[in-house]
Amino acid sequence: MLYLSQVLSRPIRDLEGERVATVKDVIVRLGDDDHPPVTGLVARYRRRDFFVPRWTITELNEQGVRLNSDILDLRPFVRREGEVLLARDVLDKQLIDVDGKRVVRVNDVQIIHAAGEWRVTGADVSLQGLWRRLAPAGFLGARKPVEVIDWADVGYLATDAATVQLKSSSDKLARLHPVEIARLAEALSYHHGSEVVESLDDETAAETLEEMPSETQARILGDMDEERAADILEWMSPDEAADVLGDLPEEKAEELFGLMEHEEQAEVAELLPYEDDTAGGLMTTEFVTLPRDLSVGEALARLREMAETPNMIYYLYVVEREGSWRLLGVIALRSLILADPAVPLAEVMRTEYQTAHPDDPAKETAQRMAEYNLLALPVVDEAGDILGIITVDDAMEILIPNDWRQRLPRLFS
Amino acid sequence: MAEPPIAERSAGGRLFRRGARRVRRTVVRRRRLFTYLAILGPGMITANAGNDAGGIATFASVGADFGYRLLWILIPITISLGIVQEMSARMGAVTGKGLADLIRERFGVRWTALVMLSLLIANGGITVSEFVGIAAATELFGVPRFVSVPLAAISIWWLVVKGTYQRVERVFLLMSLVFLGYIVSAFLARPDWGTVAAEIVRPSFSFDHFYLFTFLAIVGTTISPYMQVFVQSSVVEKGVTAEDYPRTRTDVWVGTVFAMMIAFFIVVSTAATLHQYGIRVDSAEDAARALRPLAGANAETLFAIGLFGASMLAAGVLPLATAYSISEALGFEKGVSRSFREAPIFLGTFTFLVAVGAAIAVIPNLPLIRVLLVTQVINGLLLPVTLFAILRLINDRELMGAYVNGRLYNLGAWLTTILVTALSLLFIVITLFPGLNPV
Repeated sequence: MLYLSQVLSRPIRDLEGERVATVKDVIVRLGDDDHPPVTGLVARYRRRDFFVPRWTITELNEQGVRLNSDILDLRPFVRREGEVLLARDVLDKQLIDVDGKRVVRVNDVQIIHAAGEWRVTGADVSLQGLWRRLAPAGFLGARKPVEVIDWADVGYLATDAATVQLKSSSDKLARLHPVEIARLAEALSYHHGSEVVESLDDETAAETLEEMPSETQARILGDMDEERAADILEWMSPDEAADVLGDLPEEKAEELFGLMEHEEQAEVAELLPYEDDTAGGLMTTEFVTLPRDLSVGEALARLREMAETPNMIYYLYVVEREGSWRLLGVIALRSLILADPAVPLAEVMRTEYQTAHPDDPAKETAQRMAEYNLLALPVVDEAGDILGIITVDDAMEILIPNDWRQRLPRLFS
Repeated sequence: MAEPPIAERSAGGRLFRRGARRVRRTVVRRRRLFTYLAILGPGMITANAGNDAGGIATFASVGADFGYRLLWILIPITISLGIVQEMSARMGAVTGKGLADLIRERFGVRWTALVMLSLLIANGGITVSEFVGIAAATELFGVPRFVSVPLAAISIWWLVVKGTYQRVERVFLLMSLVFLGYIVSAFLARPDWGTVAAEIVRPSFSFDHFYLFTFLAIVGTTISPYMQVFVQSSVVEKGVTAEDYPRTRTDVWVGTVFAMMIAFFIVVSTAATLHQYGIRVDSAEDAARALRPLAGANAETLFAIGLFGASMLAAGVLPLATAYSISEALGFEKGVSRSFREAPIFLGTFTFLVAVGAAIAVIPNLPLIRVLLVTQVINGLLLPVTLFAILRLINDRELMGAYVNGRLYNLGAWLTTILVTALSLLFIVITLFPGLNPV
């Protein structure tokens, strides 16, 4: 086993054992391999950098490098697509460890020689890795346990080299819960955080964004390619999408809004006029309404047939007739399942229930939901029409104080 | 397509119905209140954090020992502080990374170790000075320091680790507002404004050891290394980006000028009340006297409250900020919600600083004000390390792109760095060879 720090600045010797240059960097090709292979070295000789291809290297170890020829090609080094320089792009940089669900800094890189190839197997993140680079070789305490992250678990490499993003990285990240992806992305600098979100597929990106503060959402979407941003907005729940659009500069918001598909656009449009701190600003338009003359059995059948079932179906809202919005009663999913299938909805629905007006203050509304232990609260206008519902997760966000929600204390504010 | 069986999300239709009533088709920007206020902050807070126990002691001594003679330093140092703070804030906004992060990523491990070591020493010194401030403040109330300091250390440690520090923080912050009283006091003391005005613009210099000592203490307390780390982290934390940076720049400069204004009034009020009568500032009682024109017999109480608040505030924040920087640079787990097993370096650094700070401050018969000054001098001596790192980073085009320093700006920044370095070297030489007097 070899560490990058043990190779850097070591001499490169030719076939005769003559010292011809020193190792400046190790080049690795990122691809589908879990453990990317070394494809060459950047050698330094008299302040010039040149490329030493893999096939000329016969030895690579703590003593240095041995080449299989006497002839050195002194062409200057140029980085190729998909190539990473370990010292420049990986060492001291941050990466996302998918297995440990954390952001770590690379203290050293582990290289293993197997089957005729040198491969990057892991990133050393332990104190030991630092010590190896600080203290002279053989200095006391050199044999303490190291903590190495398997390269196969590297979900994202926070480096500025544009072409090096790991192909499979977004798949690895997608294994995590959106809440975790959001937390990890926020731990990185804002450039890299945006890059993480952009690397995800539209649906995961939307879910991840929803877990971030709306200012961050707006910044990430605002900096993104407009078509892509609109695609992600479509996947977001309408109330979240409306919040983000509200946070964006007017021009940008209108542009993104215009690029959205008609159906999602219409849903978002309904929510836009409401102020943030009102019940209307809190509500979403995803809910289920059923006409009163439907039987319990028919209602259940419809729920099953529904192509896109809204997330919140614990309450079903009973309206006068098909296509009407006039709210008459509320049925909890539980009562629906337990009721006799032949009975019409009108007989099992509750007619005494809590509602909110769209202009009610958000905080009071949320408090009322907590008081009555409601999972959702319908928002009804003066005419008695249901406009949307407020779900418990959005209400929680209002009620729980800011500093409690943050994992890390806002130390500097 | 058939009519949907359930009127589930037939949003188009609903939109049409309600369109007549209230839906505007254009996207309405929902204004967020306080966006401006939220962003106005890091620079203001950081610059004024400089007026802590060490700062008060330094400026009180300056006024008492030298009268108005050193006032002229305040203008160049305000400019220097502004430049240095602005560069750090700009780096935070453009890169989205903390200073420790950048040093690690651009300069590697050895440099990081050097900068972190100097930061640890400098911040350790200031932490000592904060506990000394706590000791001085509580002694004004008659509580001996071997009671108050360990108690303060334990409660700070407890509050931070249990995550309730933020709530108490505001109380301390409010208490430290007492120092605004120096402004009123300065006017009530009826200083000779003509002399004040003249001294502001008339530079003086001396190779006298005490003069240099005081000079370096002013530099150290004003441009402390932790402030750069601090302002950059808070800019990153606030999520300020390159585009909304101009606002932060204003905030940094306004904060700097405001902080130096307070320093100015402390010097003026101590000069007018103490220097006049040849009283030197050797203890907290002396420093409190400068508040007499405002508070009369209550001056000591008022001063003690302010000093206690400011010191408690910084004694919690500084070790915490240091622990964050070091874990950040070395890439270790950080955060107060972690256990010792999860984040040994982070909690270890924090605990170490609080413990050492408190331990030194309880040493009996410690000349308090002197200790405060010495820690500021150490700060001044270590400042060049941080400044060189900042200057190299801010002019790194790969990192900063179009946001590198302008030519004039660079001149100011380099001049500050070179002068501070020269001053530090000169002070060391004169300390080592007391007989040597270049003039």
